[in-house]
Amino acid sequence: MNDAVIVRNLVKKYRTKKRTGLFRSYTEIIEALRGISFTVNYGEIVGLLGPNGAGKTTTIKILATLLLPDSGEAYVAGHNVVKEASKVRKKIGIMLTVEKGFYGKLTGRENLEYFAALYGLDRRKSRERIDYIIKLLELDKLGADYKLFEEFSLGMKARLSLARALLSNAPILLLDEPTLGLDPPSARKIRELVKDLAHREGKAILYTTHNMFEAELICDRILLINRGIIVAEGTPHELKMKIPKLRVVTISIRGEGNGIHQILHTLDAKYEIKAEENGIYSVRIHAEKPEDIFNDIMKKLIANKFEIISARIEEPTLEDVFIYFSEGSL
Amino acid sequence: MKFYTILKAEFKLIYGEILRRKSALIATIIYPYLFAGFTLFFGYSIGSPQLFIERVGVEPIIFMITASNIVMSIITIVDDVLWRPLHNMYIGTLPYIIASPINRLELFIAIPIPRLSLLLITGFTSIAPIYILYYGLNGIVLVLTIISLIAFGALTMSTLGIVIAGLIHTISDSWRVLNIVRPLIMVLLGAYYPRIFMPFAAYIVSLLIPSSHVVEAIHGILLGSTDNLYLLLALAIVLALIYTPGSSKSLLYWEKRKVSEGVKTY
Repeated sequence: MNDAVIVRNLVKKYRTKKRTGLFRSYTEIIEALRGISFTVNYGEIVGLLGPNGAGKTTTIKILATLLLPDSGEAYVAGHNVVKEASKVRKKIGIMLTVEKGFYGKLTGRENLEYFAALYGLDRRKSRERIDYIIKLLELDKLGADYKLFEEFSLGMKARLSLARALLSNAPILLLDEPTLGLDPPSARKIRELVKDLAHREGKAILYTTHNMFEAELICDRILLINRGIIVAEGTPHELKMKIPKLRVVTISIRGEGNGIHQILHTLDAKYEIKAEENGIYSVRIHAEKPEDIFNDIMKKLIANKFEIISARIEEPTLEDVFIYFSEGSL
Repeated sequence: MKFYTILKAEFKLIYGEILRRKSALIATIIYPYLFAGFTLFFGYSIGSPQLFIERVGVEPIIFMITASNIVMSIITIVDDVLWRPLHNMYIGTLPYIIASPINRLELFIAIPIPRLSLLLITGFTSIAPIYILYYGLNGIVLVLTIISLIAFGALTMSTLGIVIAGLIHTISDSWRVLNIVRPLIMVLLGAYYPRIFMPFAAYIVSLLIPSSHVVEAIHGILLGSTDNLYLLLALAIVLALIYTPGSSKSLLYWEKRKVSEGVKTY
């Protein structure tokens, strides 16, 4: 079985108190998860993408044995997260927050030593593993051996947090927005490492993020979650293909403006023409399958003595997909 | 081996927190002196030393400074196991502890030991000169015996402390509960107010506290009697062992409650 994580019809409701006065309040039920199902394989990075309150962190918390689901089942490394929590804990590495979660008066290395003890690593194993991880994440160059955690920058804290997730060399990693608030170099470093961990070391990684660019860059598969349901699933390319009539052919040409209309009106597609400087026109054609009409248009434009300056088919971005599925339209 | 690893990690954590935080370091050093000084001042200002000797049979200075050390050390055990889950929750380490495969009971037994060791050292330095003043060189042997018994008494409080901590945190996450638990234990231990003078109900409850038997043994030594010493120490051990399954269960309830409402991850 290659499924590292199996989730079936997971449901979670929160009861929150809404206060309407000093003594008056009522209980509101929020459906955080409304029956989500998915799997994560070993050697794969699955991105859990969704707006705030979509249910990403709730999912991670249930899989990390930090929250009980109301119904449904979840298995991590073949163990039920509710009935076999202690077995699940031996198989996971978690990264929940970047800013908090360490002891301020200990150095980075001392913090890792403490958590290594919690994971039952003996002195020799702990030292070897910490040396390896500190080098891997380049924490040694940033002073993790002598700087106290409270003196760390956000980027260092994020690296240390990932380092802790790697301490026990668990085969499954649950990473909740690991690059949130990081500067570009730190975020890039984390992304590179995560990719390596999945593709070289064969770890199964569930990765939550808001960042479309990041998800597109590193995730093998993406689950779009909104209001507690998975609204779309697939590789970044597959997801983009699911948006109807969104792909656009953009052509920049020089020539007689009236001639363009005569060529384009024969197409079964919407188009826009925008006049720019020096007789240059920018043309945008919306088509479901632009590659089918692209060559035809090019031939007609050349035949009508138009000078082609540039031409390209624009793919929808993951952000378009995200907005389409989370809001129902673009 | 596993417990040793956890204990070592706890030592590093607590010593790091204390030695690198000046206010904590100063407070730890002056705490025994301050506590003993306050107790003596309070005792002398409202009572007669002669009457105290007649009723209790021990020099009040010796009794009070010993009682201060007993209370400080034993309360530290309860404080640490009660406070740590809250501290971990505030700084965001709790989810990582709950999601770790560590044996919770081993961790909670290890948690108060580093601070206790520090208190015993500073406690020793605060009471040894007074013992030497009263008992001469024999005072050194006596103070070492007393400090060893205090350490033993504090350790036997671990399991009951964990039972209390687990149950309190199962009910509520409020640190204010500490302010209720602390004085109750202080009184029921019988360190300042020997058990024989307690009302019947308090006397019975006091009998159920493992450390209270060690406190009684210490009082006996101060009175020059070792008659029931082994019996009292054995009682403390037996009670501590009786509370062990309860402490495991209590931690389990706490964890279940945290997980059912969701461990805060901030």
